[in-house]
Amino acid sequence: MARAKRTTAFPVGLYGMLLFALAWLTLPRLFAPLERVLVGAACSVPRCTATWFGEPAVAADRSDLRRIEELGERLLRRVGEHDLTGAGDAMPLGDQPLMCRVLSVDRRGGGGLPSELRLDRSYAELYGCRELVTKGGALLGYLLRPGIGRAVDDLPGDPARVMLCHHRDAPRCYAMAVDPDGGPPLRIVVRPAASVDPAPLSVDMWDDPFRASRLHAAGYEVRTLPLAFGARRVPGGLLLGRTRIWGYEPDGVDEPLTIGVYVVPPVLPQALSHVVVWRPSGVEAPSAAASHGAHSRSAARLYDLPGVGHGRHLLVAERAVPDDAAVIQDGLFLGTARGLSFGTGLVTAFVATRQPWSLLLLPDGDDAEPIELYGRVEQGDGDRAWLRLVDGPDGRPTRLVSGYLFTGSNGRHCPAGLWIGRAQPDQFERDLLEVKVPALSGASVAEVFVEEAAR
Amino acid sequence: MRRWLWWFLLVPQGFLIAGLVADLGLPALDMAVLAGLFLAWFADRRALPFLLLGVAVGRAMVDEATLPVHILVVGIPVALCLPLRGLFVAQHWLWQAFAAAAFAIVVPKLSGLCGRVFDQPSVSAQLDGWAVVWSALLMPPLLLLTRHLPPFAAFVERGFDGGRA
Repeated sequence: MARAKRTTAFPVGLYGMLLFALAWLTLPRLFAPLERVLVGAACSVPRCTATWFGEPAVAADRSDLRRIEELGERLLRRVGEHDLTGAGDAMPLGDQPLMCRVLSVDRRGGGGLPSELRLDRSYAELYGCRELVTKGGALLGYLLRPGIGRAVDDLPGDPARVMLCHHRDAPRCYAMAVDPDGGPPLRIVVRPAASVDPAPLSVDMWDDPFRASRLHAAGYEVRTLPLAFGARRVPGGLLLGRTRIWGYEPDGVDEPLTIGVYVVPPVLPQALSHVVVWRPSGVEAPSAAASHGAHSRSAARLYDLPGVGHGRHLLVAERAVPDDAAVIQDGLFLGTARGLSFGTGLVTAFVATRQPWSLLLLPDGDDAEPIELYGRVEQGDGDRAWLRLVDGPDGRPTRLVSGYLFTGSNGRHCPAGLWIGRAQPDQFERDLLEVKVPALSGASVAEVFVEEAAR
Repeated sequence: MRRWLWWFLLVPQGFLIAGLVADLGLPALDMAVLAGLFLAWFADRRALPFLLLGVAVGRAMVDEATLPVHILVVGIPVALCLPLRGLFVAQHWLWQAFAAAAFAIVVPKLSGLCGRVFDQPSVSAQLDGWAVVWSALLMPPLLLLTRHLPPFAAFVERGFDGGRA
């Protein structure tokens, strides 16, 4: 009797379940199959009833799909035009640029920003390529080698990893800070900053410390100087970023006081969707190397779940749906799926998600450079979403214009270049982007993007 | 065994029915608030962990966060309210309305907090003032009703069932 009273006074089972949930969150992969089965079984009821609400149909006709495909091609062509140019002048003559898609970003580096990229090509595919990884005229980082250094456990068939310049193991760079007023450039050594520092890169040494201490204005362009050190050769002229001054502002009595100078890279790592790797002339591409970039499209049916505000859809697929797989409805990106057992999945529409997104904005006009963005939907309302964008690493807002919004790099199963909708900057807030997506409802035919296993 | 089957079959679908009700233009009610209040005040304490799991599965169908986050979002307020069970069981309507409003505020706030901590933000973290008002007005009679309907009725704790004890 006393034992029963103790049990009721202290509900061990409930607290045990809460502890179990914490353990689940700590080891998500271990318990993921359990979630797939439980939620998948619960979804079997709406799956059975969904068939009463009509047969899935395709709303877009062939010309619409062709137009959407052309937009995606235009985006990738323009990304290529701008990413491949710029660094070419600095690289040795005859080097071939290879554009690679970013699969994921990882590992906190200088300034607390992610500092490692995983590419859609394997180490074997990039065998013989130069160590330097660029984007436009900027130096982004260094390609790792399998079995060496940080990639000691990686195999040649694994997706290649790139260590960005602010990775804690990245080598120091010999560079120059270009005075915008035409003064002589300051030669400096740039190294990865600590994760708690206000910027990803910090300036370590100066050729003229006196001039450096009188730097009060930020925004000096920092470019590499040519350096040959052992096997590592860094060409001159590649953009590393812009300076940021850390110190005290003038207060009317005292002069401004510069304590530290940092360098902020030109692109936010989370926003990177494509990078460029260079293959020296005379080095042949391997013929039978494992490839990671290929996607297959799996046919599926999509049903609306009740609750407009939730923006949830039930996905019934012909094959297992991996987590975070992109779902395409009538050629448009709808959202990413959570895979469940019994051939089902749950999709949250882009306008209803609150997760962060890497995005590509294709500005209107014929030759404007695509803009890489990173942000999350702050508010969604039917077919409109308001995206709050994260400022660039230099703290300045991203330049926003009207254009077409596409997915950027959002994981293995969500490739860059899927059209989301039409975007235009908000009238009142500089970091807000209004996105209008085509309104689609009812049961429909969809496609799920699944990355194929390495071939 | 049969009562558990009904619980896992019907309660998760309750979240979809709540969405359907909102789509029809009727007051938007959070099923997690109703289920959480039932668990906190009327449910058999020994059955609480798996009752909570059924509620979390339902919430996982309409919200993009993962299942363990929903267990925490619903389970923490239940664990906090459990010691106060004596205050609410005897049909103190005002208390129940007050607690329902508090639940309707706490659940989205906790959802937002868990979303930030575990990097799983979701749309249900947005607090809707109307949902709070409707919860305060409708939850006490709905609780009275659900306690006498399956599958909830099968899990009402003996001796704590308000007037029935």
